[in-house]
Amino acid sequence: MMKKRVMVRFFTIPEYEREGLFLQEQHRQGWKLVSVYLPGIYLFEACEPEEVVYQLDFNEEGRKELHSYVQIFRDCGWEYLFSYMGYSYFRKPMKAMQQQESIFCDDASRLDMMRRVFKSRMIPLVVLFALVILPQTFLQASQRDGSLHSFFFYSYVVLFVFYLYIFVRFFLHYRKLSRS
Amino acid sequence: MDTHIRKVYVPMTETGFYILLCLQQPMHGYGIVQKVKELTDGTILLSPGTMYGSLSKMEKDRLIALIREEEKRKIYQITDLGREVLALEKERIIRLYRNMEEV
Repeated sequence: MMKKRVMVRFFTIPEYEREGLFLQEQHRQGWKLVSVYLPGIYLFEACEPEEVVYQLDFNEEGRKELHSYVQIFRDCGWEYLFSYMGYSYFRKPMKAMQQQESIFCDDASRLDMMRRVFKSRMIPLVVLFALVILPQTFLQASQRDGSLHSFFFYSYVVLFVFYLYIFVRFFLHYRKLSRS
Repeated sequence: MDTHIRKVYVPMTETGFYILLCLQQPMHGYGIVQKVKELTDGTILLSPGTMYGSLSKMEKDRLIALIREEEKRKIYQITDLGREVLALEKERIIRLYRNMEEV
């Protein structure tokens, strides 16, 4: 039986490029990606170490008509692995490339992808943040007397900081792309 | 041509330009990738994510139309609106070229 291993690694919504690099690094060490179970839980299978580029696309329309969506990637030499949480995972061995290749060849389409991520993944977060996290953080702050309240207060502060971190990362990434 | 089309497609990206140029003949996405590679002696290699995204965006904006599907590959062709946009882009490129030679 193939040797397998599970790794836990978290990437926030805008960090799909870092996720691709992480998967590439695992393949370089002889572990190829098999699947993602829950957010952050990756299953790998032992393989020959190889330079393989991993990239993520986010395209809901594409996932609705998966056959023709995957076909164009396949024609261009990219293997489709699976889709998880809206992201579709692709890989292509470096030896099959004449130059450094990516599933996107211009910044306009990279920005379009970020807009799609923003629409489907970030807007629900923004709503949750504005309607729940933000008011609750202040509410719990004003009522901080018992230990239970402190517990809620600190939980909301942690969430608050985490959300801000995601928004700021997303914003910085977007700005970097739109300026170039 | 409405302001949205003008804003998004004039001027357009190199990818957008080559898509419209190629789709004067019916073609699928990968066909365009191959054609552009041939036209540019391998200098421009269009990527599948960019290609898929651009084709669906241009179809939505009615610059191109889906005419049929063959073995999971969608075949598109340029529309009249697409031709108008391509003509504008052509004028712009001719002007760029002329100015470059003159200045």
